[in-house]
Amino acid sequence: MADVRTLEHSTLKVPYELLNKQFRASQKVIDREVSKLTSTAGDLEKKIQDSALTVRDVTSALSTMVDNLSMLKRKAEESIQEELGATRVIKRRLEHLQERDAYGAKDGPPPITWQKSRLDRMLVEYFLRAGYYNSALKLARHSGIEDLTNIELFMLSKEIEDCLAKGDTKPCLSWCADNRSKLRKMKSTLEFNIRKHEFIEMIREDKRMDAIKKHEFIEMIREDKRMDAIKHSRKYFSSVEPNQVADVQRLMGMLAFNGKSPDCPYTELLNSQNWQKLVLQFRQENFKLHQLNSTSVFTATLQAGLSALKTPHCYKEDGNVRNPDCPVCSTNMNELAHSLPFAHCSNSKLVCNITGFALNEHNPPMMLPNGRIYGLRALENMADDNEGRVVCPRTREIFHVDDLEKVFVM
Amino acid sequence: MDSCYAVDKELEKLCDKYKSANDRMQQTLGDFITSVQGYVSEISQKPQDEVVSESMKTAVADFVERAKATNVSVGNAHKDLHGSVSKLGKTIDRNFTSDFSAVITEGAFDGEWKQRLLNEVVCEHFLRQGMLDIAESLNEDAYLQLPQVRKEPFLELHRILESLRQHILDPALQWAEQNREELNRRKSPLEFKLHRLRFIELVKCGAIKQKEVLDYARKLAPFADEHTKDMQLLMGSLLYLNEGVQNSTYSFLFEESSWAEICDIFTRDACGLLGLSVESPLSVGINAGCKALPPLLSIRQVMQSRQVAGVWSSKEELPVEIDLGQEYRYHSIFACPILRQQSSEQNPPMRLMCGHVISKDALHKLVVGNSNRFKCPYCPVEMTTIDTRQIYF
Repeated sequence: MADVRTLEHSTLKVPYELLNKQFRASQKVIDREVSKLTSTAGDLEKKIQDSALTVRDVTSALSTMVDNLSMLKRKAEESIQEELGATRVIKRRLEHLQERDAYGAKDGPPPITWQKSRLDRMLVEYFLRAGYYNSALKLARHSGIEDLTNIELFMLSKEIEDCLAKGDTKPCLSWCADNRSKLRKMKSTLEFNIRKHEFIEMIREDKRMDAIKKHEFIEMIREDKRMDAIKHSRKYFSSVEPNQVADVQRLMGMLAFNGKSPDCPYTELLNSQNWQKLVLQFRQENFKLHQLNSTSVFTATLQAGLSALKTPHCYKEDGNVRNPDCPVCSTNMNELAHSLPFAHCSNSKLVCNITGFALNEHNPPMMLPNGRIYGLRALENMADDNEGRVVCPRTREIFHVDDLEKVFVM
Repeated sequence: MDSCYAVDKELEKLCDKYKSANDRMQQTLGDFITSVQGYVSEISQKPQDEVVSESMKTAVADFVERAKATNVSVGNAHKDLHGSVSKLGKTIDRNFTSDFSAVITEGAFDGEWKQRLLNEVVCEHFLRQGMLDIAESLNEDAYLQLPQVRKEPFLELHRILESLRQHILDPALQWAEQNREELNRRKSPLEFKLHRLRFIELVKCGAIKQKEVLDYARKLAPFADEHTKDMQLLMGSLLYLNEGVQNSTYSFLFEESSWAEICDIFTRDACGLLGLSVESPLSVGINAGCKALPPLLSIRQVMQSRQVAGVWSSKEELPVEIDLGQEYRYHSIFACPILRQQSSEQNPPMRLMCGHVISKDALHKLVVGNSNRFKCPYCPVEMTTIDTRQIYF
């Protein structure tokens, strides 16, 4: 139960944000229709002052009004249906979360199939964040969890990212425009950075031209490009935040230099790798906008899980203390968990080294003469098969079952 | 599930509001349209070039007023829903944890190398689940190029399991014969159980297969020593071969559960032989994390509110004990009951003469002066340090 509370925020919040967005879009549509109707009504109001008004005029004006009204009626219906559609997504996810407790005890572990689908949901999100879109889609389809994961959101962002990576800023800028008020609230620098890159790109392009031909009219184009850059900067940089002023000054400083000359102090700005940075920034802002954490639920959960399982035994040189069933002991996870904290343990938790069963009053721990501890059940089984002899699996020494001694662990 | 319930309630309310707002809007607009249309058809009877009368002007002015009012009401009807929409968002925020960055070890999984390790784990997880196409797709997406040698064990495991699930025994039998020596060393009943199932399948066919059944019984003979009782049961069923075994006391032989059992036994043995864990390490890790994350987050919140957040930064150990339950215990952990500390190489567990176990450091603290003598903290036994010995869990 606590796990749902802790892990499923984005499962519900992302579709909620989409509903919210849909709401704003609908409001815009309705407002537009309403204002059309208002202006029709206003026209009509003016017309009736006219003494020469004919019945024909009134009929046509009223028909326009009927058209407007029907349009508004239709648009209102459509908008609300869209919004209801968005609520159904939330409903569907809630139902899935509630299935966790549908069978069995409230505080018990969730049903196995539910656990499995939770892991798949986490993995889909992890893939999407990492940009493994193919795998994400396949997994979601395979496990039938398409409507439970935020695939659409990520696919949309993939398109924008792809364009950005190619240097096409248009989709990303229109995205910025769509979400302007929210981005401003987040103090996002994304749009500024895009404009900055466009500016740099203009300067860079003329560098290429320059390299191809040294011609008089190329020189002109070059000038032109610079002029473009200046225009661009007037348009977009004149109303920047105070903390971006330094950036702008650097950019304007670049105008004074010839991009190709080796002593240009701004070469780092001209690096084409910067687009990739922009892609990453876009991705981050998109997460923030939809209330997604910057780390995936998958990573956070895996870290917590590995930490809770991590014991000093998992890192002993002696291979015998490692347990093949322990995730932290497995090769890859062992390295992954390296910098994570160990589990905290103030009470002894003992398991039999042979069977892996708990050591307790039903299976008391027993000491062999060499100081090794095993559960009584495992030792008795071994003794039954070997005429009272037991072999210590760790040292290969052979003892008699009568030599066992009790230990008491508080 | 109170958090889901709270959100669900809010969502229901919102949907109701949407529906009633929609009905209201449609109703208002519909009525208005009908009356305007009615009026239009009424005046269409009149000569079109006639100048509009005063009464008609009043009627039109009425429509204009009504249009304005409708505008306001429709615009507001939708706008008013915003309160309920944002309330839903707040309910989600209040009932679910939005931020767990506080319990994340920054950079633990960062870097290309760690990323690769993690992706390999995920890929092997899919191979193990038999989701081969997804494993392959990840292999491509993440440029893993997992060598065939690492895939092969999973593929074989999965192929055999899949045929077992379809009640096909041959691949499993072949595998068991190939690995007979190792299986015997582990005292695994796998091979016998496989032959037993094949025998039962033959018995199921009834009297017409009598000869084959008897022939096959010879195959079981080598296992007679270990599984005497099972063998007798199997052969006993032959008494009813003619009348139909399913109606006899031996009908339990046909139970479906033996197939589930054989899948379990096979998975366990095969994983053991291949050096793999029985469960997918990724599933285990994630399920443990789902248990561990809630208490970690709440302790973190308490620590932040008491402004002792710095304690966490040691990063050596989690700040609380998390009990994952018996099935997640893979190693014995001894914590000294006196010092409340985990044992280590320098501070190993020591067994006292009376059988009680304490840590070496605690033991040294009990010894007073040079006497070397001390009393067990749990029982009245007195001894010297020579009477104690280091133990290994």
